[in-house]
Amino acid sequence: MPQATDVEATVRALLEAAGISASDDELAKFVEMYPALREGADRLWHDEWRYEEPALQFTPQPPPTPEG
Amino acid sequence: MSLPLTIEEAQAALRSGNVTSVELTDAALARIEALDERVGAFLEVNANARAQAEQADAELAAGTDRGPLHGIPFGLKDILATADQPTTANSLVLDPAWGAGYDSVVTERAREAGAVIMGKLVLSEFAIGAPDAEKPFPLPRNPWDLDRSASGSSSGTGIAVATGMVLGGIGTDTGGSVRGPASFNGHTGLKVTFGRVPKWGVTPLGYTLDSIGPMARSAWDCAAILNVIAGHDPRDATAATAPAEDYLDGIDRGIEGLRIGVPRAYFFDHPELEAGTKAAVEATIEKLATLGATVREVELPHSDVAKEANTLTMLSEALAYHRPDMGGARWSDYGSSTRMTIGRAALFSAADYVQAQRFRNWYATTAAQLMAEVDVLVVPTSPGIAPLSSEMADPARRIRQPSYTGPFNLLGYPALAIPAGFSEERLPYSAQIVGAPFAEALLLRVGHAYQQVTDWHRRVPPIVEESAT
Repeated sequence: MPQATDVEATVRALLEAAGISASDDELAKFVEMYPALREGADRLWHDEWRYEEPALQFTPQPPPTPEG
Repeated sequence: MSLPLTIEEAQAALRSGNVTSVELTDAALARIEALDERVGAFLEVNANARAQAEQADAELAAGTDRGPLHGIPFGLKDILATADQPTTANSLVLDPAWGAGYDSVVTERAREAGAVIMGKLVLSEFAIGAPDAEKPFPLPRNPWDLDRSASGSSSGTGIAVATGMVLGGIGTDTGGSVRGPASFNGHTGLKVTFGRVPKWGVTPLGYTLDSIGPMARSAWDCAAILNVIAGHDPRDATAATAPAEDYLDGIDRGIEGLRIGVPRAYFFDHPELEAGTKAAVEATIEKLATLGATVREVELPHSDVAKEANTLTMLSEALAYHRPDMGGARWSDYGSSTRMTIGRAALFSAADYVQAQRFRNWYATTAAQLMAEVDVLVVPTSPGIAPLSSEMADPARRIRQPSYTGPFNLLGYPALAIPAGFSEERLPYSAQIVGAPFAEALLLRVGHAYQQVTDWHRRVPPIVEESAT
């Protein structure tokens, strides 16, 4: 179980990495909601879709012809 | 004069000579004048609305008929670009140059169909978050109870339709933003299949989830709007190439033999689902059965995880769009709820995002197998009646509550929200009819059949009648 200070340090670092300058009050709210957010994200890591392909597509396209 | 309640009635009255577009538009303008200060639906009324109505009347008189939206008062959520009005996204952040001087695809199509564009409608900033009283934008209020939420993000369109300021309008839906306002304001709203309506000229929220959909009193009206806005446009790389249908053709055919699936787990047994809402949706299913549908219980497993995947995907894609501003000097220019909601994406990892797409694939495969056995699913639209506005800004509430709309954005499925009764507090209930990709015509047919034997969609908030006396 992470300590509260660990959570605050983690949240502060993640927000800073995104360039977000939250106020002290906002930082406190992010820290408060972080465990629930993390729990929600962690529910995605389940064995049932362990070998599933992602629903992502990238289709390479040939270069445009000189005629455009 | 008073406005006809629906597009279906108004377009018939226009053609029979019982009303003109100018009369419809004047009545809508009078309604806006009487109510908008209290309910906060419009960011800006279009100064050219009456001139558009005059042109519509002149065209009809000359024998030019552009179809059911011709001469109809119509509204646009203010994230759709309009050549003749500014686009704000309800935000101080959006560059005023964005959207200036051109129409979105949907705006173009509405104009070509002869709709009278009444103006730009309030939304949750950039289609997310809750209203912020500290920002210089109208605060949307539920017309059934001004202390309650009109939902979001297409709140202005929902309010304007419910109060008759417009007869139809456009919303966008990334996690429920057409269906939520339809649910809380008591009218019909269609979230279309991903790609069914081109998004060019609309500010994005979640690139892989966003859809644009009709909002109006009835399923018939939504079909008439969809007839205008559906179909491919090459300017939107995600626009579907599948041909659009005539969504009014066969809408009267009824639902004899329709196979309804009812996924009980999560959608009907979550502790946050209010008893009144559950009972109203159960009654809707029973009513559909009396019209000839068969009903069976089905499973759509891990729909609770689908909510998490949809939220994580939406917020991550939104932060990618907003980070240059949100991660720069403009953090405080965003509304409090907007920045606290999109900012949550910084707390997820890139691997989380990819994992959400892996779950999405699994969920889509599972749902496709289910939809081979039934024609539609029927579930609640919202877990309860409209809450007090003060409760909507609480992020913990959104984290705690189930989402009955977001899973279908994750799937890209179409879903129709229809009025399904009223609570003791006189607040609307809503049921959601969900279909396989590109099943919009079927959903509208089911909604229309239900609305031929019920009148929930025709109920008008008391504030409207009070304003007329």
